[in-house]
Amino acid sequence: MAKTIGVTPTRMELLKLKQRVSLAQKGHDLLHEKMDALVIEFFGIVKRIREVRAGTMQQLSSAYRALSICFAMQGTIETYQAAREVTKVAEVDISTRHVMGILVPVVEAKPIERHALARGYGIHTTSSTLDDASREFERALGDLIKLAELEEGAREIALELEKTKRRVNALEYVILPNLKSMVKFISMRLDEMERENFSRLKRIKAMLEGRE
Amino acid sequence: MSADRILQFELARLNAHLPDQQITLKDALSSLNPQVVAKDGSKHKFERMELEYISKIVHADDWDKLRLPILIGVNPKLGRGTAEISGEVEVKVISQVLGKTCRDQEIVIYRPEIAVVRAKLPTTTQYFFMVG
Repeated sequence: MAKTIGVTPTRMELLKLKQRVSLAQKGHDLLHEKMDALVIEFFGIVKRIREVRAGTMQQLSSAYRALSICFAMQGTIETYQAAREVTKVAEVDISTRHVMGILVPVVEAKPIERHALARGYGIHTTSSTLDDASREFERALGDLIKLAELEEGAREIALELEKTKRRVNALEYVILPNLKSMVKFISMRLDEMERENFSRLKRIKAMLEGRE
Repeated sequence: MSADRILQFELARLNAHLPDQQITLKDALSSLNPQVVAKDGSKHKFERMELEYISKIVHADDWDKLRLPILIGVNPKLGRGTAEISGEVEVKVISQVLGKTCRDQEIVIYRPEIAVVRAKLPTTTQYFFMVG
């Protein structure tokens, strides 16, 4: 039910309400545009996530296959020993980019794939299967970093989309109808008062004419 | 009145991501860390791959005429899902990306086209909401 209780039916109030309706309408239109743009962004990023995720899963699968071969050829203990000798971790540079006010992370990884000699383990005591497994895992790590960046971006956009949608709905279904009903109520009340005034004047005029 | 205040705050926040100052493609290409500072003080970084892609589209003489990020102007008056891009070189870039031919100072694009532009140039384009 429309909120008309406590509304003063004056022309001043009507003008103020009309201004509020105009602001709310403008806000609704712009927020709707923002919501549409966010939907475009969200579906774009989801599409990319799907592609990157498929590639990452494939890469991880081949990495684990290579590791299994390495375990079988070189031995589990030796593989773990070699893994402990690898010290360097991947370096990433995290910056941001804006998508309509949302800060989306941009993760740039320094080249992760390294030469066998740069990995840190001794190449004399290890098998070439370890090199293959390491290479596959380094590639998988690069893909995982890209996937993490995209998923975080999608999460941020989804949150903003939810917030914007809530505001658009509040404007569309609560604020604007309430304001419009208040405008309608005041207009009708003012018209009614004008009609009352008119008939009062007519009656007074008739009374005055009758006296004369 | 709190709803109005929230609305005014939201409208003011719509364009907070816009850069304080745009940079030219030439500057962006020569910079080691191509980025712009937004009105809210945050940083927006351009992807080098995108800059290189644009540099192939735009003639080298126009590199200092193209200001980045390219602004996709969203104006509700144009109709829902419609946007406009102004500037001679900017229009040239967007036309090339969309495979269109346009020699005007301004180009109007629609929602599916916006999606294509944003997919190809996610960091070098930004939305600009025409509030006024």
